[in-house]
Amino acid sequence: MENSTIKEKIVKDMLPTDAAAIREEKIIQDLLPQRFGKWGYIWVGILVAICLVGMFAYYRQLRYGLAVTSMRDYASWGIYISNFVFFVAISLVGSLITAVFRLAGVHWSTPLTRIAEVIAVAAIIFASIIIIVDMGSPERFYFLVIYGRVQSPIIWDVIVITTYFFISILLLYYPLLPDIKILLRYKENAGKRLYKFYGFIGSFWKGTHKQYLLSKKAINVLCITIIPVAFSIHTVTSWLFATTYRPGWDSTNFGAYFIAGAFLVGAGAVVVAMYVFRKADHLEKYITEDHFEKMGRILVLLALLYLYFNVNEFLTPYFKMKESERAYLNGLFTGDFAPVFWFAILVGMIFPIIILLFKKGRKPLPVFIVGIMVVVGAWFKRYLIVTPTLLHPFLPMHDVPANYHHYFPSWEEWAITMGSLAGVCLVITVLTRIFPIIPIQETLNEQHETAK
Amino acid sequence: MKPLNKICIGLLSIILIFPYFEAFSQAAEKGDLNVAVSYFITNNKVPYLQVKVNTKVKGKFINVGDIPVKLFLDKDSTGTFIGNVTTNEKGEASAYIPTSVKAEWATSIKHTFLATFDGNKKYGPAKGDLTVARAKILIDAGSDKTVTASVFELKDTTWTPVKGVEVILAVRRMDSDLPINETPTFTTDSTGKASGDFKRDSIPGDSKGNITLVAKIVDNDQYGNLLIEKTMPWGAKFVPVNNFNERSLFATRNKAPVWILIIAYSIAISVWSVLIMLVFNLLRIRKLGREV
Amino acid sequence: MNQENNSRRDFLLTGLMAAGIGVAAGCTTKSPFEDAAGSEVKASGKKVKLLSVDGEVIEVDEAFLKPVPHMPPVTKSEERIGIPGKKFVMVIDLSRCKNLKKCQAACNHAHDLNPGENWIKVDPMQAGPHTAPYWEPTTCMHCDEPPCVKVCPVDATFKREDGIVLIDSDRCIGCRFCMAACPYSTRVFNWGEPELSPEVAAQPYSSETSIPQKKGTVGKCDFCADMTRMGMLPHCVSACPNGVFAYGDLNEDSVTNGTETFRFSDLIKDKAGYRLLEDLGTKPSVYYLPPVSRNFPFESGLENDKTQNS
Repeated sequence: MENSTIKEKIVKDMLPTDAAAIREEKIIQDLLPQRFGKWGYIWVGILVAICLVGMFAYYRQLRYGLAVTSMRDYASWGIYISNFVFFVAISLVGSLITAVFRLAGVHWSTPLTRIAEVIAVAAIIFASIIIIVDMGSPERFYFLVIYGRVQSPIIWDVIVITTYFFISILLLYYPLLPDIKILLRYKENAGKRLYKFYGFIGSFWKGTHKQYLLSKKAINVLCITIIPVAFSIHTVTSWLFATTYRPGWDSTNFGAYFIAGAFLVGAGAVVVAMYVFRKADHLEKYITEDHFEKMGRILVLLALLYLYFNVNEFLTPYFKMKESERAYLNGLFTGDFAPVFWFAILVGMIFPIIILLFKKGRKPLPVFIVGIMVVVGAWFKRYLIVTPTLLHPFLPMHDVPANYHHYFPSWEEWAITMGSLAGVCLVITVLTRIFPIIPIQETLNEQHETAK
Repeated sequence: MKPLNKICIGLLSIILIFPYFEAFSQAAEKGDLNVAVSYFITNNKVPYLQVKVNTKVKGKFINVGDIPVKLFLDKDSTGTFIGNVTTNEKGEASAYIPTSVKAEWATSIKHTFLATFDGNKKYGPAKGDLTVARAKILIDAGSDKTVTASVFELKDTTWTPVKGVEVILAVRRMDSDLPINETPTFTTDSTGKASGDFKRDSIPGDSKGNITLVAKIVDNDQYGNLLIEKTMPWGAKFVPVNNFNERSLFATRNKAPVWILIIAYSIAISVWSVLIMLVFNLLRIRKLGREV
Repeated sequence: MNQENNSRRDFLLTGLMAAGIGVAAGCTTKSPFEDAAGSEVKASGKKVKLLSVDGEVIEVDEAFLKPVPHMPPVTKSEERIGIPGKKFVMVIDLSRCKNLKKCQAACNHAHDLNPGENWIKVDPMQAGPHTAPYWEPTTCMHCDEPPCVKVCPVDATFKREDGIVLIDSDRCIGCRFCMAACPYSTRVFNWGEPELSPEVAAQPYSSETSIPQKKGTVGKCDFCADMTRMGMLPHCVSACPNGVFAYGDLNEDSVTNGTETFRFSDLIKDKAGYRLLEDLGTKPSVYYLPPVSRNFPFESGLENDKTQNS
């Protein structure tokens, strides 16, 4: 009601540019964060419930130790670590969509930047949480700071993830400032507490030319900085494995292999989020079929790239069949891990490539489905990177209880992992409730430019 | 410890142990203790005694600690009291010969050491004894790298050579003694001598190449355990070198390789200085906003 | 003479030696480590009157009477440095091992390991289809370039001057990177709260004794650094009835299995000793002698193997 009267008023007051103003007002109204509807509350409720179950499982783990997991001396890392690698991989997308496209002067990606940044922040937060969950003595976490040993790749990872988290926050924050100015204009939309919060974080942004210049420069510097740092987080994470001697990990290919995989899963996560937000917030005008078409092409490229690295990673060892790697490779191709392995290869790479090669496959719904396939396939791929190697050591697994020879996650591990996945979704949901999922000011600017 | 094991096994098999039948019959539920005494003398100087106490449980010997044992020289009386000892968790205890038994010591060239345990709640009384004759061992290292041990026994007042005693000639090492050649033991001839060729050339010694040669009699029925040492410059000069303090990937945090420090710090400093700059940039934007 | 007075004095004297007679039995008046370095024990200045073998009263410095009595508790920083001038090595003679698992039992007992947890594992090995099967006991290899130490983020596991690789459970954060890095799979983890006997739980923690173990930390063979400090052999070495294990100091070029003492270099040369996974460049401190000329069948160890590997 009130909105409509304001609109009328604007129409009356600004006669010469009234058409443009109405269009602008429409865009803002479309893109302002919306209150949760019924489904929004149900969605949040489900996520919170999963998180609570995960927290209860973690309480049990704290109390009884990692004995509640199925990890044992041989499979000493399990789905916590594969989940960690998965989150680190997904968070890489923030740099891909935002930084790479921005620097390349690609404009169509503007509506996707904030989705990517929000996913990156949420994933990197939970990457650090899950790594603490994996620790046997989490109460000693601060030892990493006071006794940190720079020779250890874990310390490199700690440094680089902290840095990436910080950059991601900055990269989320800087482009938000103009939007916050708009949000502050719509007090009644925000509600009291949110309005106060907006005022706290962004009331100083007046949109002056000087401020704009400073902000633009900063965003450019951030985009340049985030690319090497993003490459580092995933390369260093791959080094956690590649700096050991184990069959399957002892590879010089690992850094590039991980980064290729990360770009793929990150892009997959973005198309999934795009589709969901498009439906939930009715953003069909802003996230168009053309976006899906273009993201579909990017996905094909990334899936092909990742497939290429997979061929590299598996074909050459298979060709040689070194004795130390024989059991490991056979386990993957035809043994215990074969179903998961072929699932990850087919569903995570081959099928997406085939679907996306067709024009019809690049429509929103097929792309969304492919995105889900890519993300799920990628999760299992991370599991395959961690566990089979550990279960194929150089010396025989011997003189240990029988259950040490196998690994299947316990309910606590599943609950914590699911809890962390729900946590990522929850952080994304909350951030998009607070902030506009599509940058408003940038959309307006582009509207202006196209109008001219 | 090699000698220790040998002593232990040897003494048990020799059986100087006599079960105390009276005590056994009085309190059947009490355990039986074996008390063994052995006699040691190093470099022909101060002798000492070692007591070892164990018990047999299900066919296995188990050492018993916390057992008080009284030691006497020759006979159980005030003037011949050597000392009270209490065994440790390995069932062992030891004592030197105090000056108070000087008079008794002078009476004979052969002595019997008595060890008595009066019994407690768990174990009945037990006794052990050991008789040794006074002997001494000498070591000589020849210029042709032969090592000779001479064993003498005190007969009346003269030291007379003993034939047929098994002697070990060895080089002192950390946990045990390395025989000077492939022969494990040598036997003394009629002159009381046993010699062997030193074939451990260039074995690491100390920084001057000194090694300690030992000649020893182990667990001899008549003489106990005798040992004598001699330091000779027959070893290779050895100064341990280690890379413990070098910077390496497997050293501690304060010994990280320089290249890794340079790379890590330069990357971290450059990236974080950019980030700090960006935060200051934000503050500038904020200040500009306040001015408007 | 008053027996009361005497016995009191004697008690003091004998008490001095009670703990450390292990070395006295080795017939030395010197500490085993200072002995090897060639320097004498420092005189304390306190003299004690004793009876010599010739029946004379002689004065002996108290310090010489204390072979290794209650050694002052080793500080954390001393535990991290180790015993100067030493380089500990082990030689495992595969031709003698018939999988009796006495080593394992002694080790598990000494370190109060939980059921199912083994620091020593005896693996049945067979390199190829037509090669001979044999039993291979594995301990921590105490590598000179230890991959586990390289990756530890908090200095919880460390390489000592004497070659021993230890773990400080007060420092370990339980990230298990060292377990992934160890190509010999020698490390074990305390997944839950370890079941400790009250006596063990009451002991102060030391990385040399490795007890009491702690929940959420890594454990492994420690070459019995505490025994070594007292001049005694590791438990597995003295427990093996077949003399499979020999332990000693590379700097002294000598190893012993408790009954036999070998010159290390001769032993390795004569029997063609080797190290496990030499191509990885970890430079282990544990050497193996090939399983040649065995006078017992491999199968004799199978029965024993079933207890843990059914």
